Amino acid sequence: MHPKNPWRKILEALSSLKLTLACLGLLMALTVICTLAQVPLGTHLAVDRTIRTFLVWWHPEGSAFKFPVFPGGGLIGSLLFINLALAQFLRLEWSRRKLGLWIAHLGLALLFLGEFATAFFQVESHMPIEIGQTRDFTEDYRQQELAVAAEVDTEHSAVTAIPETVLKKSEEISHPSLPFKLRIKRFYPNASLNVRQPSDPPPEATGGIGSNLTVLPAPLATGDDQQNAAAVLFEAVGSGQSLGSFWVSNALGAPQGFMVEGRNYQFSLRPRRYYLPFSLTLKEFHHDRYAGTDIPKNFSSLVRLSDPGHGEDRDALISMNNPLRYGGKAFYQSSFGKNDTLSVFQVIQNPGWLIPYLSCILVSLGMLIHFGLKLASTLGGSR
Amino acid sequence: MKRPAALLAASFAAGLLIAASPLFSRGPASEFDVQGFSRLPLLEGGRIKPVDSFARNSLLMIRGQQNLPVDRQRLSATQWLLDAMFRPEAADTYKAFVIDDPDVLGLLGLERGKERRFAFWQIEPKRDEIRAQAEHANMAEPARRSRFQTAIANLDSRLELYERIKNTIVVSGSDDPVGEIQSLAKLLPKAMTAMHSPKKSSTASKKALKNLSETLERYRFLAQTAAFKPLPPQSGEAQDSWGSIGDAATSPTGSLEDRPGLLAYLRMAQAYKRADAPAFNEALRSFQALLAEQHAAAASSARSEEIFNRAQPFVSGMTLYVMALLAVFIWWGTLRENARAVSMGLLSAAVLVHTLGLGARVILQGRPPVTNLYSSAVFVGWVAALLGLLSERFHKKGFAAAGGAAVGFCSLVVAHHLSGTGDTMEMMRAVLDSNFWLATHVVTITIGYGATFLAGVLAFAWIARLHLLKKPDAETDKSLASLTYGVIAFSLFFSFVGTVLGGIWADQSWGRFWGWDPKENGALLIVLWNASILHARWIGAIRERGLMVMAVLGNIVTSLSWFGVNMLGVGLHSYGFMDQAFWWLVVFGIVHLLIAGLALLPRRHAYTSK
Repeated sequence: MHPKNPWRKILEALSSLKLTLACLGLLMALTVICTLAQVPLGTHLAVDRTIRTFLVWWHPEGSAFKFPVFPGGGLIGSLLFINLALAQFLRLEWSRRKLGLWIAHLGLALLFLGEFATAFFQVESHMPIEIGQTRDFTEDYRQQELAVAAEVDTEHSAVTAIPETVLKKSEEISHPSLPFKLRIKRFYPNASLNVRQPSDPPPEATGGIGSNLTVLPAPLATGDDQQNAAAVLFEAVGSGQSLGSFWVSNALGAPQGFMVEGRNYQFSLRPRRYYLPFSLTLKEFHHDRYAGTDIPKNFSSLVRLSDPGHGEDRDALISMNNPLRYGGKAFYQSSFGKNDTLSVFQVIQNPGWLIPYLSCILVSLGMLIHFGLKLASTLGGSR
Repeated sequence: MKRPAALLAASFAAGLLIAASPLFSRGPASEFDVQGFSRLPLLEGGRIKPVDSFARNSLLMIRGQQNLPVDRQRLSATQWLLDAMFRPEAADTYKAFVIDDPDVLGLLGLERGKERRFAFWQIEPKRDEIRAQAEHANMAEPARRSRFQTAIANLDSRLELYERIKNTIVVSGSDDPVGEIQSLAKLLPKAMTAMHSPKKSSTASKKALKNLSETLERYRFLAQTAAFKPLPPQSGEAQDSWGSIGDAATSPTGSLEDRPGLLAYLRMAQAYKRADAPAFNEALRSFQALLAEQHAAAASSARSEEIFNRAQPFVSGMTLYVMALLAVFIWWGTLRENARAVSMGLLSAAVLVHTLGLGARVILQGRPPVTNLYSSAVFVGWVAALLGLLSERFHKKGFAAAGGAAVGFCSLVVAHHLSGTGDTMEMMRAVLDSNFWLATHVVTITIGYGATFLAGVLAFAWIARLHLLKKPDAETDKSLASLTYGVIAFSLFFSFVGTVLGGIWADQSWGRFWGWDPKENGALLIVLWNASILHARWIGAIRERGLMVMAVLGNIVTSLSWFGVNMLGVGLHSYGFMDQAFWWLVVFGIVHLLIAGLALLPRRHAYTSK
């Protein structure tokens, strides 16, 4: 390529170490911003708005516009990754002297890929399970789904679940398993539900408990242990006529529903469920304390893992720092309750979970080689 | 032997002697075998420790010091504990409670003169008021409490600790605990028969029953309030089921002879109260003999810990680091080889004492060296001092030695101030209870902290030379810069590996490698900062001066990551939470910014040298 070729120039700029320094500086600033933002926003929201985004947006209160104010983690991370890869191939010579740097930077690149893989592919959910109970699904408390249960017989029902992402976007939802359509009128990720006062505007819901409530949107919960009370208002329409409008929320316990074509249908907004091809049964839960104190020493759950599809049927012990990895998912001891009869597992599905391990080994090795060679030559030279 | 070598050996030996001297001090004279008592094992905070550790930690929490002056003599922590438990009428008059807050003093109706320490009897009349105010304060989140609320809640918890100590072995103020337990032992069978006899109970047995229930009530109260559990498990009981006096007295099984510890403690209490030293010592001997026979492991670990407490290796270490630093200054001032030898001898002694202290903690606790904020401070100093001592072998100009000694000293001072919150060998909460990860992630990342601080202090030396030296010495400056660069590279390695290992631990324990939690972000900042220094130096964006400025600022980054993020009060790493240290951190930051600013000023003697 000609040196004045514009592509060449762009390549030069993208692979320059000045860009590396600038990115490192920006990343440091972003890390500080993210850390400070956690005080008012909580970790999850702060990370979503600063790191897991391409731009950090500023949304002035009461304004419909938002302005990009800082590059987000996605942008800085991609730039650093491109810069690292290009600099490596365009600027760093292949030689024994530079071997350590090659290995260390390769490990670093892997670490970036791992973090991107996590951002895009990781699915996080929970499984609360009581002693004696068997579960074959996990729940994501951060996302809701509208579950429509059609009664099959007195003990079974067929459930059609509509995820939050669909509720947010669609106006009308129909599904072959349902003899009616759902017109989504409102969706609030977090809402305040109050008993309707006489002075309130007329109720938007015509049926169920919602006709006695006033539902208003609320700001998203910020604390890491707070939950949103999502609420959805929909109208069910079957064969051209309205079957009623309902407010459904995960904060409402009582089931709501109606009869259509001689069948009972019930609605609920519940944490999004992920079904597993296997099941866990909690056999024992232990909460050990240090002698004479309430300081927790260990939590452990003995579960029966049963996967008829793969012929697995065995006991597994899940304890602090010792997850159960099975079927591409990892089950961690996360919490407990109900007087030590309930155990809660955090369930993570992350196909890239091994990448950081590999990366750590590569970077350590690379730095050892590089700095070792340097130290040897400095000491050798000084004598 | 040549003179410098002899001097080095002599100063090394002298340093060790200084460090060993506390072991030979006898403490205040007493006819009671206080030391023997201080070595008795007990269960508190989930682990077996000597009476001495409990007494020191309690007095440290209440008074801020490990001893207490009374009538021109100094009571040891154990003497204070003995008085509090067995002669509360005396202990109540000791000025043991530090109260600084003017509003709390106002509430108590006390005047703040020269004295900021007050005796329990001065506070007691307002005890109920303090409790009510503290309950009110405890309803607010810690971060939202006013200064008064924090102070009153703190005073209340110290008073509660003192009151529990007073009601651990005997109900505070009992005159005849031995007689009481003996009559209980006699009464109990009678009462049993009275209860089970079909006949109508006589007035005498009714009275006996009433007496009995009152006595039992007193022991139940003791079982609830006891500040520690001093009675070892009986044969057949689980290893860690130590009991309190109240538990043992109210347990329905067994006669008094089956509970030799119970009787021994009550005898000691009675003898101490009656100032009968021979009887106290005899009861103590009998209990010691029992422990040696049946609970040798607990007794010997308690004894070792008492010796460790008395040796105070980290206090001696502080002294030796200062002496070594002074010797380096004398060497730089006089350029005499002898001064250099003395400084090396002292620094080696200091590092050895520091190492022994760390080793002793590791053995006593059965854990890797870093388990909490206190031990991280001890470890950071050790890493810097050791690294300084080793670098000095290759770089014989005294900078590495002085830097190591300075960081060693400062971090031990920080550790000393962090120790006031209680037991420094506290038990690890469930998620942290992993020796493997404590040994890998925590230790590596703390090595990174120590090295970053050493690089920062080396930069101080470069800046001092810049402005103090009349004749520039480019060669020394350059070698100082390459030393600093090397230390930063070392630090980058350990902070990177430590940070990633932390991620892997997080992946193992709660299923996410990196959660952008404040402590993780702090660690990442150190890595990014050190990486920026190395890359900037490599492409020539900074030279010697820039390297030094960045190394000094590295200290700010490290201290924010180490302490600052804990003050935000978010995240999963709540291993060290504190609020008072905030202003010290601000001062630390400002001082470093000023020093970095100094590096940017032109050389002061630039013109005179021409």
